[in-house]
Amino acid sequence: MALSILGVALGVAVVVGIDLANSSARTAFRLSTETVTGRATHAIVPGGGLLQDDTYRQLRTETGFRNAAPVLEGYTRAGAETGPVLQILGIDPLAEEPFRSYTGGPQGNLDLGAFMGPSLTGLISRSTADRLGIQSGASLALYREGKTSTIVILDVMDPEPGFSEASLTNLLIVDIATAQSLLNAPGQLSRIDLILNEDGRAAQLEKLDRVLPSGARIEPASTRSSTLDQMTQAFSLNLTAMSLLAMVVGMFLIYNTMTFSVVQRRSLIGRLRGIGVTAREISGLILAEAAVVGLIGSTIGMVSGIFLGHVLVDLVTRSINDLYFTVRIQELNLSWLGLGKGLLVGMGATVLAAFAPAREATRAIPSTVLRRSEDETRIETHGGLLRGIGFFLALLGALILWMSGSSIALSYVGILFIILAAALWIPSFANIGSRALRPLMGRFFGIVGRMAASGIHHSLSRSAVAIAALTVAVAATSGVGIMVDSFRTTVDTWLRYSLEADIYVSPPGMVFRRNDATIDTQVERQIRAMDGVAETYSVRTARVQIEGRMTDMVVTEPRNRELEPGRYKKRSSYDHREAMVSRDVIMVSEPYAFRYNTDVGDSLQVMTASGPRTFEVGAIYYDYASDLGVVQMARSRYETHFTDRYVSGLAIYAADGVDIDELIDNLKSATADGQGLLIRSNRSLRQASLDVFDQTFTVTAVLRLLTILVAFIGVLTALMALQLERARELSVLRANGMTPGQVQRMVTTQTGLMGLLSGLLSVPLGLLLAWLLIFVINQRSFGWTLQFDVDLMVLFQAVLLAVIAALLAGWIPGRSMSRMNATEALRFE
Amino acid sequence: MLHVSNLRKSYSEGSSERDVLTNLSFTINRGELVVLLGRSGSGKSTLLNMISGMDVPSSGSIAFQGTELTELSDTERTLFRRQHLGIIFQSFNLIPTLTVEENVLLPLELSETADIEQRKVAMDVLHEVGLGDRGSSFPDRLSGGEQQRVAIARALAHNPSLILADEPTGNLDLRTAETVMDILQRLVHDDRRTMLIATHDREIIRLADRVLELQAGRMEDVTPEMNGLGSNGERERTGD
Repeated sequence: MALSILGVALGVAVVVGIDLANSSARTAFRLSTETVTGRATHAIVPGGGLLQDDTYRQLRTETGFRNAAPVLEGYTRAGAETGPVLQILGIDPLAEEPFRSYTGGPQGNLDLGAFMGPSLTGLISRSTADRLGIQSGASLALYREGKTSTIVILDVMDPEPGFSEASLTNLLIVDIATAQSLLNAPGQLSRIDLILNEDGRAAQLEKLDRVLPSGARIEPASTRSSTLDQMTQAFSLNLTAMSLLAMVVGMFLIYNTMTFSVVQRRSLIGRLRGIGVTAREISGLILAEAAVVGLIGSTIGMVSGIFLGHVLVDLVTRSINDLYFTVRIQELNLSWLGLGKGLLVGMGATVLAAFAPAREATRAIPSTVLRRSEDETRIETHGGLLRGIGFFLALLGALILWMSGSSIALSYVGILFIILAAALWIPSFANIGSRALRPLMGRFFGIVGRMAASGIHHSLSRSAVAIAALTVAVAATSGVGIMVDSFRTTVDTWLRYSLEADIYVSPPGMVFRRNDATIDTQVERQIRAMDGVAETYSVRTARVQIEGRMTDMVVTEPRNRELEPGRYKKRSSYDHREAMVSRDVIMVSEPYAFRYNTDVGDSLQVMTASGPRTFEVGAIYYDYASDLGVVQMARSRYETHFTDRYVSGLAIYAADGVDIDELIDNLKSATADGQGLLIRSNRSLRQASLDVFDQTFTVTAVLRLLTILVAFIGVLTALMALQLERARELSVLRANGMTPGQVQRMVTTQTGLMGLLSGLLSVPLGLLLAWLLIFVINQRSFGWTLQFDVDLMVLFQAVLLAVIAALLAGWIPGRSMSRMNATEALRFE
Repeated sequence: MLHVSNLRKSYSEGSSERDVLTNLSFTINRGELVVLLGRSGSGKSTLLNMISGMDVPSSGSIAFQGTELTELSDTERTLFRRQHLGIIFQSFNLIPTLTVEENVLLPLELSETADIEQRKVAMDVLHEVGLGDRGSSFPDRLSGGEQQRVAIARALAHNPSLILADEPTGNLDLRTAETVMDILQRLVHDDRRTMLIATHDREIIRLADRVLELQAGRMEDVTPEMNGLGSNGERERTGD
């Protein structure tokens, strides 16, 4: 019974843990958004880059609109490069009162002179101050884009009424001028917050429209909150699906353990039926017991899920920070909804899995309840039916996959049906496999080997469920493993041909895959002019509005070299690289084309500094850095249409005969006094990119491990049920001279064989799952083209994993069987 | 051959101990067929379990061909049992995962030292019980009588020094029991093998060289009277 509870608890813990981690990330982002949005109803946002603060002045002077407040936002780190992330919120305290009350307005206690004065000052929350170990009046070092600044903390704040302490976590509130200095954005704003009255809103909007600079627009405050959901939807959904897989494997376990509990009380049920207890009453008893197991298991699972959530939230945060945006999650957001979902899944799965054993026990007539051979007869004769249902489910799964269009959730449902179909075929395969292996086992292990092989098909009702659970868990692990490996190989190949230069220079950014930090112009010039540098090409990452959506744009200087068709998914008939320099032609990444249904030859409206301009899509290129979609524009066109002249990175080609490491050392010492820059060789940047890739999949690895653990317990319970049922047989063997060591060897050989069968069956299922993950789930989630790269080692490891898991699970029952008192079992004669 | 002296077996029942066997002493000589009578719960099976080494006595001695069983470890007793004993159970207790032939060869296979000659002898025994053509069948394909004949073949296949049988005809109908009895007579009694049979079946008593009776944990030699009782040829059952 303890094992059933453990099984349910593990499954629920994984589901709850992932749900809490996902929802905590969402809540943290929403809180930080709401906190900085305050009571604003709308905001003027730029079409791309930032707004000029003239817009704010114009707004107040020309329209007389008073309910407006300028904001400049960004991120920095406290202390050093690896310090905690702080969100900078630059505001004008004189305009703030209707929006946010952190500064207390002109009548507040804050020393506005000091806050708005020339020295860098700011406010942080009490909890953040405590965490950083500073007090009011202390200096705080800030590190951003390789530069360090020092700010004086004027005061510590408490949250506004109605907001939690968490809403202020890691928020650094500064005057707008201080923010412009810290974020290196002189005269610029992120947005202008507005409060528009409901009465006459249309007239107000019309009036405001007149002062809007080109490209800027007014959007409701609520728009910002939905950003995270849109960005991370596929990421979160895939994690949730993985967590549900653990629960599916857990259902095999629950089925097994509930069957075990029926087996344990087979004679009691038989006697109860004999004295007139009805089938319905027995069924109710077993289901009620399952509900209690489900309740206890789910409760333990929910508590464990909270602990697991603490571990997973770090991994999830790290992935989100690497891939999408900066979010700092201080605490796990315990939602009743998340815990309730765990309880529902746990209870539901337990009762569902217990339904079959309950029905089995009650359908049998009293005398057959006492004989397990009935189960074996039934499973043998029902083999065809199981295969038939399996075939039907496989067809249904394929149909769902085919019909589900772009729905990821439905695609997972399709995959679930295919997994269940495979599970229903497993008894037949296990039967054939163990019969086929019997002579071979006899040759190598003698009578013990033959008995081990026969033991599997003679106890198919137990062994097949254990084999199915282990097969599904191992197949899922190897399937995800092949998918991750394929992905990694694709990314590695892509990095090899994308990163051609010898050295890459960039300032440290907050988001690895979207570094829009800038290199100081002076430093850039210094690097370009250094000895040993043959050629340099700049890269700029910017956010621009394309087709009304804020989009990441990479601005590059096309290098004069051979066209490599392998880089492009689709190209126009003309030389798009030449066209990108001479006219308004851009390239879009594969995920962009997928997300926004864009094709070569389409026109996209890009909001430039001089207003909207139409660009033609010249090519769709492979890009694995962002699943959100990126657009590439030539530097010359960018400089024609935008005022930004900064660069985010430099690619350097060393002169012939120059030692790369030596050049890196020279570059580092030449720039040591200025901005702290990341100067990396081709190889180390590639490695860093792959490290981030691997880190992103750490959470997947944790989930795979937990799934295997659930399956491991499944095998353990199946073996314990077998032990109970085989007590007499083992006693006879002991009576006929089988030593305890031979008993242990027989059980170990049998479990090893079960593991081997699971491992071998997991290979085709794992390959199928990998294929579905790569060509269906990945395609529908992100739109990437991935190579299907099967490393034979992964498959070998899967088989080995299954064998080892089974052997470990068999060790305890084997030991206990070998120590069993043979006379006890024979006493039942 | 087998010397049992002052044998005692007790089980704990809460804080007190209950004696099942008290100061049992008897001897079985080579080639003797001894029948052990006793009501249900008299301790017959317990005594067989201790002679087979599957259980250990609370005190006393069991010496078999000079080896003191009570001084052996569990594994040593198992190896001793494998080499010197053959056991026939009431419920046949064939291994369902093994074929008839494999069941018969089981003790030899477990010893991992069986040579071709020994295997041939084992298969001869299977022929002698009349099932030479059923070697590749699994036990669930056999009738009760056939299963018990396989069990007898298994108990004899490795030519053990002592055969222990616990109610060998207890689960069989009259006609089948007679067949099994014929086989036992031919293979055990006529070949002068040593055997201890615990039974209620008075038909078996006819074969016995000696009859022992267990009553309230004590042993009594009742050979003359029992032989007389069984001589009328009627099969009747003692005990409850």
